[in-house]
Amino acid sequence: MESLFANLALGFGVALSVQNLLYCLLGVLLGTLIGVLPGIGPVATIAMLLPVTFTLNPTSALIMLAGIYYGAQYGGSTTAILVNIPGESSSVVTCLDGYQMARQGRAGPALGIAAIGSFFAGCVATVIIALFAPPLAEVALKFGPAEYFSLMVLGLIAATVLAHGSLIKAIAMVILGLLLGLVGTDVNSGVARYSFGVSELSDGIGFVSVAMGVFGFAEIIANLEQKEKREIFTKKVSNLLPSLQDFKDSWASILRGTALGSFLGILPGGGALLASFAAYTLEKKVSKNSANFGKGAIQGVAAPESANNAGAQTSFIPLLTLGIPSNPVMALMIGAMMIQGIAPGPQVMTERPQLFWGMIASMWVGNLMLVVLNLPMIGMWIKLLMVPYRILYPSILVFCCIGVYSISNSPFDVMQTAAFGVVGYIFVKLECEPAPLILGFILGPLMEENLRRAMLLSRGDALVFFQRPISLTMLVIAGLLLAVVLAPTVRKKREEAFVEA
Amino acid sequence: MKITNGKDFWAGLMFVAFGLAFMWKAQDYAMGTSVRMGPAYFPTVLGGMLAVLGAVVLFRAFVSKIDNPLKVFPFKLWRIVVGLALGVVAYYTQPGHNANIAWEIGHTLLSGLAVGLIFAAFGERSLWVVLFSVVVFGYILKPLGLVAATVLLVFISAWGGHEFKVKEVAILSVALAIFSVLAFVKGLGLPMNVWPGIWE
Repeated sequence: MESLFANLALGFGVALSVQNLLYCLLGVLLGTLIGVLPGIGPVATIAMLLPVTFTLNPTSALIMLAGIYYGAQYGGSTTAILVNIPGESSSVVTCLDGYQMARQGRAGPALGIAAIGSFFAGCVATVIIALFAPPLAEVALKFGPAEYFSLMVLGLIAATVLAHGSLIKAIAMVILGLLLGLVGTDVNSGVARYSFGVSELSDGIGFVSVAMGVFGFAEIIANLEQKEKREIFTKKVSNLLPSLQDFKDSWASILRGTALGSFLGILPGGGALLASFAAYTLEKKVSKNSANFGKGAIQGVAAPESANNAGAQTSFIPLLTLGIPSNPVMALMIGAMMIQGIAPGPQVMTERPQLFWGMIASMWVGNLMLVVLNLPMIGMWIKLLMVPYRILYPSILVFCCIGVYSISNSPFDVMQTAAFGVVGYIFVKLECEPAPLILGFILGPLMEENLRRAMLLSRGDALVFFQRPISLTMLVIAGLLLAVVLAPTVRKKREEAFVEA
Repeated sequence: MKITNGKDFWAGLMFVAFGLAFMWKAQDYAMGTSVRMGPAYFPTVLGGMLAVLGAVVLFRAFVSKIDNPLKVFPFKLWRIVVGLALGVVAYYTQPGHNANIAWEIGHTLLSGLAVGLIFAAFGERSLWVVLFSVVVFGYILKPLGLVAATVLLVFISAWGGHEFKVKEVAILSVALAIFSVLAFVKGLGLPMNVWPGIWE
């Protein structure tokens, strides 16, 4: 326990330095700024802003990225409440009741309770990370290559199970991602694989290019194809503070949402999206007047907003302790860590305690900034919402292009990103969810490396994955997950759930 | 046999093609054994899995109850063919280090046209205009500088939207150019030309 406080003190020492406070603030502001824009979610936001952080030192870069993440998350709910367009999939459920509240002239309390719920959830999640990450990292340090390989299999399977739409396509996308991740020089043999003699490709396909192309550009293009329709009900939000009655109605929902979200965030494949959906469903079930849901029930805003923030943060646990991303945002984080020269995994905590604890402390700081800054700045975000898309997207493109170009100061990365924009567009058209692809892309080289080492240690006996208990457990869970999803009744339910969404 | 789900059909085909392509190309590398895996081992296994899954998706397209037309997006084969041909020409006419400026500009235009045509094969105007503007930006940033590149990027990409108001776009492009010079070159200190190289 004492070490916990010592660690947190160290973390706050790092997070509260003037420089890091500034980057945290900048991250939160930029994240909200871009997250507020309709149709651009946290993944796209982080992908677009990644190059900006490359010039910083690793700790500041990750603090800023984490700030961008929850800023974008929060911005997304603002859009959901005010315009009924979910900025990201995890605020889809916030639209249901939040927009209705706005129509009833209660946009203020809706935004207020979302902010307060998120802040509360963020505080709890920060403590949970600080409590659970060290023991988990200790366990993970004992993992051998076989365990790591099975863990990655489990993580990838879990991510596909939770992806929208067809399971087979999602698994295919994971494998395609793994394959794309293998492009470049093979560490063991020094052979440049799939580089076709292009010298830039022998370092591998640029991670930023894939993320920005598939998530950023493809999203912009898809948005452009639809004729824009935006209806902003609330031109001016007054009275942000929820009434006493609102608090009475929603405190239990905030608690439930936080608990559920924190738990779901830790699971592989989990995170904000799953958390908000589950929390909304739970609220509807336990509420005495469930008929009010969908008509502006404040619980329907409070619970999912708390849950998605809690989930967003606790999904850092597998990232920080195991080095395994559980969702695309975490995949981007790992990518950023690798670019900064940090090998993600359990050793980060012991080898770079300042980075580890500084980041955790900065999450709390960032959440506080969100509440303190965003509530008064809401008028500015509304103005931003009214800027037409025809002005927004060229501006976004300019920043994306400069960012990509600056990675290596050559047109190559820009071309690569444009190419992945086409690929991403094709994925959208063919209903292939890109999230599993990016997870596979990040894990490809790691998975190959661990497979090689495991097989070398077992002298080529593939049974090793089933003989080691931890590894076996993970493979069994992965198998069960697949079996459950493929079972006819669940399959039907799953399809329905996603159709509703 | 009739294809009911066009999206699954193309997706399956895409996965099979990717899987086979990765397997085929892996033949150039050493396979190794399961104890000491060579660079070809993992990609070959994955490629095989991808091809099999793709085949399943492809099969499903024929029995699926979901109806999707075969024509998922407007696909124009001739643009790909012409684009690839121009690309090959551009590849073999790359200017050397001491080539003159006209040659360089001509070559840039040619490669830009090739890339644009290939993009344009896959969809509506918004797709290729936006991506083409990005490619143009990438190519002209070094020779013509950040200001010109930004202005061009804004103008071309704005043309891909639904409405195009010259005055508005002009103001936007100037504002963005000023902002990016101040923020990225002066502020973050990125090493980029602000004005065309020959001026400085």
